[in-house]
Amino acid sequence: MSNARAGAETVISVEDLRKWYGEVRAVDGVSFDVGRGEVFGLLGPNGAGKTTTVEMLEGLREPDSGSLQVLGIDVARDPGALKERIGVALQTAQLYPMLTVTEVLELFRSFYRRSLPSEQLIEFLDLGERRNGRTSELSGGQRQRLAVALALVNDPEVVFLDEPTTGLDPAARRALWELVKRLQEQGKTILLTTHYMEEAEVLCDRLAIMDHGRVLEMGTVNELVGRHFQERTVFFSAIPGLSDERLAGLADVTGVKHDEGEVLLYSRDVPATIGALLAATESIGAEPENLGVRRATLEDVFLDLTGRALRD
Amino acid sequence: MTALIALTIANIRSYLRNRQAVFWTLMFPLIFIFLFGAIFTGGNNSIKVGWVDADRSEASAQLRSAFAQVPIIKLVDLGQSDALEQMRHGDVSGVIVVPAGYARSAAEARQDPSRQANVIVYTDPSQTSARGSVMQVTNGVLAQVNLGGRLPAIVATARDLQTQDLNAVSYLTPSILGMALMQLGVFSAIPLVADREKLILKRLNATPLRRWQLVGSNIVMRLLIGIVQTALIIGVGAFVFHVQISGNPLLGAGFALVGALSFLALGYVIASFAKTEDAANGMVSAVQFPLMFLSGTFFPLEQMPNFLQVVARALPLTYLSDALRQTMVNGAALFPLWVCMAVLVGWSVVCFGIAARFFRWQ
Repeated sequence: MSNARAGAETVISVEDLRKWYGEVRAVDGVSFDVGRGEVFGLLGPNGAGKTTTVEMLEGLREPDSGSLQVLGIDVARDPGALKERIGVALQTAQLYPMLTVTEVLELFRSFYRRSLPSEQLIEFLDLGERRNGRTSELSGGQRQRLAVALALVNDPEVVFLDEPTTGLDPAARRALWELVKRLQEQGKTILLTTHYMEEAEVLCDRLAIMDHGRVLEMGTVNELVGRHFQERTVFFSAIPGLSDERLAGLADVTGVKHDEGEVLLYSRDVPATIGALLAATESIGAEPENLGVRRATLEDVFLDLTGRALRD
Repeated sequence: MTALIALTIANIRSYLRNRQAVFWTLMFPLIFIFLFGAIFTGGNNSIKVGWVDADRSEASAQLRSAFAQVPIIKLVDLGQSDALEQMRHGDVSGVIVVPAGYARSAAEARQDPSRQANVIVYTDPSQTSARGSVMQVTNGVLAQVNLGGRLPAIVATARDLQTQDLNAVSYLTPSILGMALMQLGVFSAIPLVADREKLILKRLNATPLRRWQLVGSNIVMRLLIGIVQTALIIGVGAFVFHVQISGNPLLGAGFALVGALSFLALGYVIASFAKTEDAANGMVSAVQFPLMFLSGTFFPLEQMPNFLQVVARALPLTYLSDALRQTMVNGAALFPLWVCMAVLVGWSVVCFGIAARFFRWQ
């Protein structure tokens, strides 16, 4: 597994982290490092242990075992000092419905020794129109931006974003992605969890794929894809009468997978594979529908690692 | 400190913008006072006065008929010990005693201006309006009887008698205050559980905010509401229903404070065990209704069946209301004040202890 970016100072260090709830191993031996200025993603389905991991890093839950260091602070020993220097956006961000955006920001500013002016945060997060509106009247995207604003109140060095775009429409999601990129440009280290492949591909410098409380793979998107697939993916709607054995025998096919009515052929030589596929379908009097070719994605990696698709 | 103040202000803002919450916390107790006040003060306003004739003479009978003509009092003929007993129980508001030998001393007084005949008038200093009426009537009647003499021949000697029972509204006002403080505390569990359910507490826990600041701001806010409630309840009692507020205001305020804290502690206990807002609602009802009805809020303990009296003695509100009645309106003591204080302080300590052990922030 690859370590934090070469040369960068390590700001988050997780070693053999474990958290069990009775028989349920929510987090079962997780280790990773994050370097300063990196956007690091924990990618996995609901229940993979991402949130539990992040909440232990934030000092909200106590690990059963393992060591956690954030900004050189032992989280278990001194959560108070840590909380001054990190920013946190939780999954559900419904805060003080009766207060206005400015009032909530001012409230959170009072919790920290050092804080940014509310106006600066409102401007940065494009909440100017709603500054005097009640938080209960915000749209989903605005509410999420307020949650991020609250995470930035103390101008933190490390920002934790737990599922920041879950439940947002595509436009709001893209706006939030832009925001994360701007934060990275400011030099902040960001750890985010997501179950959106695309989000992980767009935002994360490096990521860890999690399932059942364990890290399955870790690295940059290119590393992860490259490690699993030298091949391209040829995909088409499943055709009855064309067995997996037959497909696996086609020219240059290294693997066959099914994903919700779609057949995926991993191919070392796309023209040869498609030629053979067309010949095979013609021989049974059929034609491949929705035929296409793409580079392998994280989705394919996840499918390869777990045998199931990662969807919400 | 800034965080504590900012959080308190945020809580107060949230509270004030929630019109329903404001209405229920401030108006609900007043509705009770108005309701019961109207029931108990409406209708026949005549004052019952015990009449004790120890002289049994023509002169005493004449005096009685002079009193009987006054419309606002209703005389009840009784023996002396019965009369005082009934007054202690609140069945009569005052007692007039015509002592044995009245006829003779009255006759002598008419001849010899240096002598006087006495009637003894018992009233309760804590019941100003009844006391005032009885004394006024007595003086008026005696002035009439004495008419024509150069000096008053017959005079009233006032005696104080502490009655056990207050008039209904005087009894009710401190009781309702106790009930309001109880509800203030117990109901605080609901927003607390809601904040936990909505992960607000968890989010706050991710900041450097200390737990004592969070709890402190919550308690400060509730106590501020409690002060407003207390002022409203006492104000309505005093100005609308003429409840005589007497006693020891400092001690009364102390009991109100400790009482509010002990029920806030109970609210925290409920919030420790209720997982959802709905569960908290149910638990609050289950706790507050028995407290409200079995703690002598609306009628005195001794009017309840024996087994319920036993229950009442186990409820902290009984002690708070008793202490408030003693310190606000000179109510008769069910328990010594130190017992009330000890129960309330003990209750607070136990409840806060339980909450500290079991309360979860997420």
